[in-house]
Amino acid sequence: MGTILVLTAYLLYLLFCFRFFLRAFLWYKAAGQQTAVAGVNKISCRTVVSAAIDVLFFSRLFHTNKLLWSASWTFHLALLLIFLRHTSYFTNPVPGFIIFMQPAGIAAGYVLPLSLLLILIIRAAGNRDRYVSFYNYFLLGVLLMISVTGLMMRTYFQPDLIGVKDFITGILIFKPDVLPDSSLFTLHFLFALLLLPYVPFHLFTAPIVILEANRREEGLGMILHEK
Amino acid sequence: MKNKDPFGKELSIKQLMELDACTQCGECLKFCPVQEVTGRPEISPPEKIRMFRALMKSTRGLKKIFGRDVDNKLLQDFTNAVYECTVCGACGQSCPVGLFNQRLWPVLRSEVVKRGLGPVGAQRDMPQKVRETGNPYNDPAEDRFSPWFPDNVKVAERAEIAYYAGCTGAYCAQPMVRGDVLVLGAIGASFTMLPPEEEVCCGFPLFITGQFDILKDLTTRLVDAYVAKGVNLLICSCPCCVNIMARDWPLFYGRALPFKIRHISQFVQDALKTGKLRFKKGLQERVIYHDPCYLSRGVGVIAEPRFILKNIPEIQLLEFDRHGAESRCCGAGGAGRKVYHENAIAMGRLTINEAVEKKADKLVLSCPACYEKVNEAMVGHDKQIKIVDIMELVSELVI
Repeated sequence: MGTILVLTAYLLYLLFCFRFFLRAFLWYKAAGQQTAVAGVNKISCRTVVSAAIDVLFFSRLFHTNKLLWSASWTFHLALLLIFLRHTSYFTNPVPGFIIFMQPAGIAAGYVLPLSLLLILIIRAAGNRDRYVSFYNYFLLGVLLMISVTGLMMRTYFQPDLIGVKDFITGILIFKPDVLPDSSLFTLHFLFALLLLPYVPFHLFTAPIVILEANRREEGLGMILHEK
Repeated sequence: MKNKDPFGKELSIKQLMELDACTQCGECLKFCPVQEVTGRPEISPPEKIRMFRALMKSTRGLKKIFGRDVDNKLLQDFTNAVYECTVCGACGQSCPVGLFNQRLWPVLRSEVVKRGLGPVGAQRDMPQKVRETGNPYNDPAEDRFSPWFPDNVKVAERAEIAYYAGCTGAYCAQPMVRGDVLVLGAIGASFTMLPPEEEVCCGFPLFITGQFDILKDLTTRLVDAYVAKGVNLLICSCPCCVNIMARDWPLFYGRALPFKIRHISQFVQDALKTGKLRFKKGLQERVIYHDPCYLSRGVGVIAEPRFILKNIPEIQLLEFDRHGAESRCCGAGGAGRKVYHENAIAMGRLTINEAVEKKADKLVLSCPACYEKVNEAMVGHDKQIKIVDIMELVSELVI
């Protein structure tokens, strides 16, 4: 079972890289294509700062849907904290700030499923403006399963953490170790693997698009108002 | 399928990234006017993006290698969705990641045009009509100015200022362009115009429907004709014309334009500020101003029309709930007002209803397509309001 999981992990990681490089190649080929020229100003410090605020605090979503904003922002923050906390499972020695943020990471583990549930409820409760994206529901479902299995391991069915660390580190250094004897961990790991091919590309492109949107909006006044 | 090229070849790198950046959150549906009147999420902005991503995948990457065909039903569904849109850009304005949909949708439409599936309905003959008559309505060039041009306004042979009437204004919203010319005459600045057979389509209806083939030719003809008349300022009242002139003409022309583009409200605002134009009469009415999508969120002309209206003595200016860059489409956008007539009428009536609910005496517009369609939406509607173009209104008060 452990060998199958390890091989699956390598295969899915390779596929993820292949998918990413295909996309990057597509962007590279399109780099010369231009569709609109007016109102494109240089990227100023102001643009970068406003884009950074948009990216960090989801301020555009805040303007349109404050309830969804609160759930989404909490979810992303919790996910980031949990991701950072999980680095302790494949770093040796564990960096000081990762040790320092463990309590916050543990708290985030409780917040994450709640925020995911809230997002699901907001989506399901929408009326006219309800848009059903099966991809989003799938992602939310997988994330929910990952967070619930993770939380269960944290609270009631703790696996052998040294075994977990050896297994994860083994994968990363291409010296696979034995799979820890924990069904919950196996499930948790399987769901994480399932997520890998579906990692949304907006993680990479949204910050660039938001920066461009800020630049465009600042340049809007220049189109017909230049001296 | 006429063209087996991979999908996405028309898109710039920014637009490809925009496709990936869409989180499918569906927030834009609350702002989409087509959703407001149809309630069909299958033609919504995130669904268009989802379908186009699927089309791209089917012609690229592993699916291309393994020889899968393009799903024709998916392609047809995408075509319907991308053409039923009014391309107003409200979805992009409200987008949590800031997609520039006023420019993304026309390019996605061009991908469909390349494959012979778009455009739809009356849009299909537009390039032919523009080639033959200079306008997308197939109306004779000799009727472009003569039915509405006021006798008392003189047009110079050559001048630094030129006025471009535009096809929709000249053929479908004549009180509007007549108002423009009367106001220009009242300001007293010498201005020139191209002869009717030379003032051809600006290219916007072709651009918005994804038919890019003759845009370079149209732009070059118009720009060179204005240069020959010694023009250094081109004034126009149609938001769509102004938008393509300012945003895209430099691209089609191959370099910066040798003259400035200004919306007429900017020119009139300057004339009011410098005292070249004064209101001789007031208006004891409540008026509500509708921001055209391609003027407000398109090129940022939001303050000028309001400055003009607020300068009319005794007038009371009201605002729509959604105004400025957040304005709601009147239904005439996307060159689909004749193809998706019922949608356009329903959207126009939403604008009328809100204006009536706010107890406005007049609904002030500043776009010929809005002018034509909202007037049409009034016919047989239970709510009625007087519709007037901003320059039509100004011309009544300055002369």
